[in-house]
Amino acid sequence: MTEASARPRFGTRLLAAIGEPIVLPGREVVAIARVLWLTIYYAFADRIRWREVLRQCYEIGNRSVFFISVVLGFLGMILIYQSGFQAQRIVGDLQLLGALYVQMLFREFAPTITALMLATRVGTGIAAEIGSMVVTEQVDALRMSNAEPVQYLVVPRFIATVLMTVVLSCVSLVVAYFAGMFAGAAFFDINPRTFFNPTLLIWGDLYIFLMKSFAYGIAIPVIAAEAGLSAFGGSEGVGWATTKSVVNASLAITFLDFLLSGVGYVFFFS
Amino acid sequence: MIEFIDIHKAFGPKHVLRGVSLTVDSGEIMFIIGQSGAGKSVLVKHLVGLLKPDKGSVLLDGRDVTNLREHEFYDVRKRCAMVFQNSTLFDSMTLLDNVALPIRKHQNVGLKKARELAREKLALVDMQDEALRYPADFGDGMRKKVAIARALTLDPEFVIFDEPTTGIDPISANIVDRLIRDLSDRLGVTSIVVSHDLRSIFGVADRVAMLYKGHFIIDGSPKALRESDDPIVQQFINGRPDGPMEV
Repeated sequence: MTEASARPRFGTRLLAAIGEPIVLPGREVVAIARVLWLTIYYAFADRIRWREVLRQCYEIGNRSVFFISVVLGFLGMILIYQSGFQAQRIVGDLQLLGALYVQMLFREFAPTITALMLATRVGTGIAAEIGSMVVTEQVDALRMSNAEPVQYLVVPRFIATVLMTVVLSCVSLVVAYFAGMFAGAAFFDINPRTFFNPTLLIWGDLYIFLMKSFAYGIAIPVIAAEAGLSAFGGSEGVGWATTKSVVNASLAITFLDFLLSGVGYVFFFS
Repeated sequence: MIEFIDIHKAFGPKHVLRGVSLTVDSGEIMFIIGQSGAGKSVLVKHLVGLLKPDKGSVLLDGRDVTNLREHEFYDVRKRCAMVFQNSTLFDSMTLLDNVALPIRKHQNVGLKKARELAREKLALVDMQDEALRYPADFGDGMRKKVAIARALTLDPEFVIFDEPTTGIDPISANIVDRLIRDLSDRLGVTSIVVSHDLRSIFGVADRVAMLYKGHFIIDGSPKALRESDDPIVQQFINGRPDGPMEV
């Protein structure tokens, strides 16, 4: 069989091109689900390397605090500025701005923005590290040594990312809160004490905050690990893996945000 | 005995192996040669389950290992070790812990015992004094020696060497060649060596097979390789850029 005769016919290639946007994402979802299943399985079925978990917690947590704080601080101020400006034009009364802002921090802003930042910083790091190990055959060497790659590489990063996403979401909530309070006082002369008004907060806000933080913390390392484990083709492949990790994680966070916000509306807010 | 039977493997549109068959007898040192990208490493990875063929089968002492599940390969990988092209030592571990890893995982022994056994293997390649240092401290040659020590930790019956002498100095290359020969002569280890190194081929090999365009075009002794009248074989072993071989 020659190369030319081995090439599929035009009709076959046309059908493949039409089906590709459905088949390829479908395969991605299946691959991610497989990594998630294996990660959870090995987290419970095998011994956890706690020293490695602690090391990853330091890498993910300590090294992200400054970055997350700066981003959430500025975004908090921008949010207060923009919403305060609009509220002043439309309603004129800014007394509830602080309380509404705190509610939104819990329900949406803090966990989601933190997760998107972590998907960029931590997710790409995981994808690049594991992807490099794949293309340099270190993962093959692990398999030859009877060390399951998911158990050895992914589980410590998974546990650390889940923990640190919750912690960093709390940190970002506090930073954004005070930054917003400062912006309110600075731009609109809002009394900072109005930001201490918990009137609009309910327990459901806390539950949603924690649910989103956990869900994002699960999604980021699993998606990044799958991207890394599927890397091929040398350094170019590792680059593609990191890009895939950010894109897929961002999509997953957006989808989970929508889903969990809906859950919140049905069970807590309506 | 190792048997590759009609192996086909493609990566996307690239058909790397097109019906490759090869038998390696027990205790033999078989060299697989060919151009870069010919599929040599791809072929040998099928033996230990790192790749699965699109078609064909792989037999290990008569047992079909083609489509085993991952956990079923654990026993195969105890018997068949592999020294990878890139050394593949783990940068976060000392040399000692790198060599101890397969002992701990395959034999389920404690860290202390595994490290004792690992020291013995490092001594085989004269790296015992560097046991507590990290791979990044060393060049390719020394890392490759440690990778060989790691491959020998479970006293395998079969060892795959993927370009063991590439990138290392001639003295270290000679040491590696002697080690491969010793393993066969003293312990009856079957070795499959993927290599371009003609000095190793003509110095150590019992048999040589050359992969070209997805097929073996020669399979015989080093003498038969040297005396082959196939122009592609002659172009390759003489290193001539011009000739019928597509480069």
